[in-house]
Formats: sequence, C-alpha cells, structure tokens
Amino acid sequence: MSDNFFYYLQIISKGLPDTLSLGAAGILSAGILAIILTCLLSLNHPIMNKAIRAYIIIFTGSPLLVQIFLIYFGPSQFEVVLSRFPTFYAMLSSPWFCAYLALTLNSAAYTTQIFYGSLKAVPLGQWQACSALGMNKKQALKIIVPYALKRALSTYSNEVVFIIKGTALASMIPVMDVMKYSNILNGEYYDFSIFIAAGLIYLLINGLLSIIMRIIEKRSLVFEN
Amino acid sequence: MTTMFNFLTNGTNWLVASFEGYGLPLLQATSITLSLALVSLVVGLFLAFVFTSLESVSFKPIAWLMSLFTLTIRALPELLIVVAIYNGLPLLLILLNDGFTLPLGFTSLTIQVDIADFNINPFLCGVMALSLLYAVYASQTLRGAFKAISHGQWEAAQVLGLSRWRTFTRIIIPQMWRYALPGLSNQWLILLKDTALVSAIAINDLMMQTKGIIARTKQPFLWYVIAMLIYLLISIISQKIIQRIEKRSLYFEQTAKKQL
Repeated sequence: MSDNFFYYLQIISKGLPDTLSLGAAGILSAGILAIILTCLLSLNHPIMNKAIRAYIIIFTGSPLLVQIFLIYFGPSQFEVVLSRFPTFYAMLSSPWFCAYLALTLNSAAYTTQIFYGSLKAVPLGQWQACSALGMNKKQALKIIVPYALKRALSTYSNEVVFIIKGTALASMIPVMDVMKYSNILNGEYYDFSIFIAAGLIYLLINGLLSIIMRIIEKRSLVFEN
Repeated sequence: MTTMFNFLTNGTNWLVASFEGYGLPLLQATSITLSLALVSLVVGLFLAFVFTSLESVSFKPIAWLMSLFTLTIRALPELLIVVAIYNGLPLLLILLNDGFTLPLGFTSLTIQVDIADFNINPFLCGVMALSLLYAVYASQTLRGAFKAISHGQWEAAQVLGLSRWRTFTRIIIPQMWRYALPGLSNQWLILLKDTALVSAIAINDLMMQTKGIIARTKQPFLWYVIAMLIYLLISIISQKIIQRIEKRSLYFEQTAKKQL
C-alpha cells in the first residue's frame, strides 16, 4: 500500500513543472493586467470603462473550462486565415499557452474586481490630500494604488489559491500537469490513493502559498499599526 | 450598402442554418446543467447547516476536525474532487459488498452490505461533489451570519418561553438570512460555473453536448461561444433574481429609513 503510494507520488510529481509554471505565470500576469485595468478604470473614461466592464462580466460570468476550450479548440475553425500567421498559430496550438492565456484573462477579471473595489474603498480624504498637494490624477494614483493594493491583499490571497486550483482544468486540454498524471495513473491502476497523492500535492502548494501571502500581508500592512 | 446587406443576410442565414437541429439538444443540456445546479444548491445548503453546527459544537475535537475538513476541501481543485468522488464511490461500494471488520479493542464490528448494482449514477456523483463544494464555502458564510445575531435574541426568546428549536427556526434564521444572502448568492454563481466540470464524468450537460455538436459540425469557435453565452445568460438572470431577493430581505430596513 505505502510502496504504491510513493510510486504514485513519484509519477504524479512529474506534473509539478507544468502546474507550478502555469500557476506562477498566471498569478504574475493576471496581477499585472489587473493593476493596469484598475488604473484604467479609475480614469473614468466612458467608453473604456464600458469595455472593461464588459470584459469583466464575460470572463467572470462563464466557466473557466469553457474559456480554456474556446481558446484551445476555437481557432481551428479559422485554420485557413490563421495559417497566414505561423508564429501566432503555433502559439495558439500549444496547450500550455492556451491554458495560460485563459487562466490569465479569467483571473485578471476577478482580480480587477477585487483591486477596484478596494481602490473605491480608500477614503475620499486621501484623494483630497493628494489634490491639496497639487498632484494631478496620475500622480495621485501612484500614491493611492499601492495603498489600495495592500488593503486588498487578504481577499487577493483567495484568488491566488483559485488560480492554482484552476490549473487543474488545464488537464482537460493536453497539458501534462499533476491532474493529468493522476488521471493517467487512475486509468492504469484504478486506485483511490492516486487521488489522495494528487490532493496532497495540491494541499502542499496551496498551504505554502497561503502562508506566504499571509506573511506578505502582515509585512505590507505594518504601517497601519 | 447592398454588399453590406447581403453580407448580413448571408450571415444570419448561415447562423440559422447552423442552429438547425441543434437547438433542442442544447436546450435539454442546459436544463440538465440547471437542474444539477439547483439540486446541488438545496443539498449543499443543508450540508452547510450541518457543517456549521458541527463546527460550533462545544466538544472541541469535532469542531477542529470539521474545520480541518472544510479547509482541506477548499484547498483542493474542484476537478480533482469531482473525479475522485466519481472514481471513489464504486470502490467504496465494492468495499462494502466484500465486507470489512473494524477492530474495536475487545470486540470487532463486521460491516457487510449486499449491493446488487455497482453502476453508479454520474448525476448523483455530480450532485455529491458540487453540493460538497458549495457547503464548505457556504458554511463559512453561515457561521459569520450566525455570529452577527446578538446573543440577546436567544435570551429574549427564552424569556418568552420559546423552545430552542422554535427560537432557531422562527427567530434566528429569518434574521440571519440578510447577513448570509450576499455570500450565499456569490457561491451560487460559483456553483453555476463549477457545473461545467461534471462534463468530465460523463454527464450530458451543456459542456458535453457542445462537444458532441462540435464533433459533428466542426465549428468549435461558434459553439463554444454559444455555450459561453448560455452560461453568461444564466449568470446574469440569476444575478437579477438575487438582487430582487436581497432587496426584499432588506425591506424592513428600507421602510424604517423612509419613516426617518
């Protein structure tokens, strides 16, 4: 039993590079995209705001799985057109890239909601203080956005865990991640301890991430105490 | 102008032609997705109440175990839970059928149940997985909502001679709803999107049906966009309904404000 378990763990951990790289790349680019979108939203440009709102509604209103499938399987309908751009088409044919793109777009929509919510929760006095010091909107954003981001960290750490959990969906398109390896093993041996092993790995990743996020949160909110 | 018009009519004709014969299966699949979500919501709400009450039991080990359990489930990918339940349930049935003995020190307990049918229903597995996922998040919301009701309410009801059960159902729960509703409705939207995962365990839901249609039509982009729009429509409609319910749950506060 335990010998099998360690064998399973060994095989499944071959999927760690894909899971971790997808997670890390997704977290980073979704975070950056969300910060940019938050700044754009706060500029209150009527057309741009509508566009960003539509983007958020579309990507938070539909399942991540549909988005992954749409990005990975969708382009083959336009094969004739796309084959004129070989590099672009090659990128869209790579399952890892498609999963990464879907994860980023999906999570950036949720993260923008979190960041923009905390930006709006910043007391009006902060904005007034900035304008009293003669700052324009851009300069004020430079002061207020970092402050709002720090306040959003506790909610954001949930989103980070959601990204890691979302990487498991990439196994439905042929990305060789932890979930994919456990599915392959299950097809071969049909043993429940395979899922326990996979669960243990995800638990470890998410546990570590939560601890790291909590430390970052504590450090960045030190000035409030 | 005419070319534009021709383009538009051709486009609509093409769209209508592509829909032909696929509208009904898609509608049936949507109803399966919706019923799966609704059944999971009801079962999940019940489970959430059970989890919350177990987490607030005064015997600490049970409360800790329950907290550990919900924390673990929340850290695991939803897909893993769905697939693990689908694969684990038959194994559990086999184990029950073969029988096993629990050593209890001085005696041992043998458990053996004869099971005729080992084919489990995927829909049932989907409901189990989704309601479990809903319950672990909702129990957190419920706990917060119960804490928001002051203890004075319990004491006042006791003074009036109400039994504990009556106090809970008639005094506490009606007041608790308005604290719990925003969280619960948010998790309902998440549950709705998680239903897409059950296509991994052979339920003919919206995702699976879309896949089947694509295999025949070879138009993946069009049909995945349509599936996406259906999910979007369901989300938006349920958001509207939730807004109404929330407004009603805050009704008495609004009237109080009007009087002021």
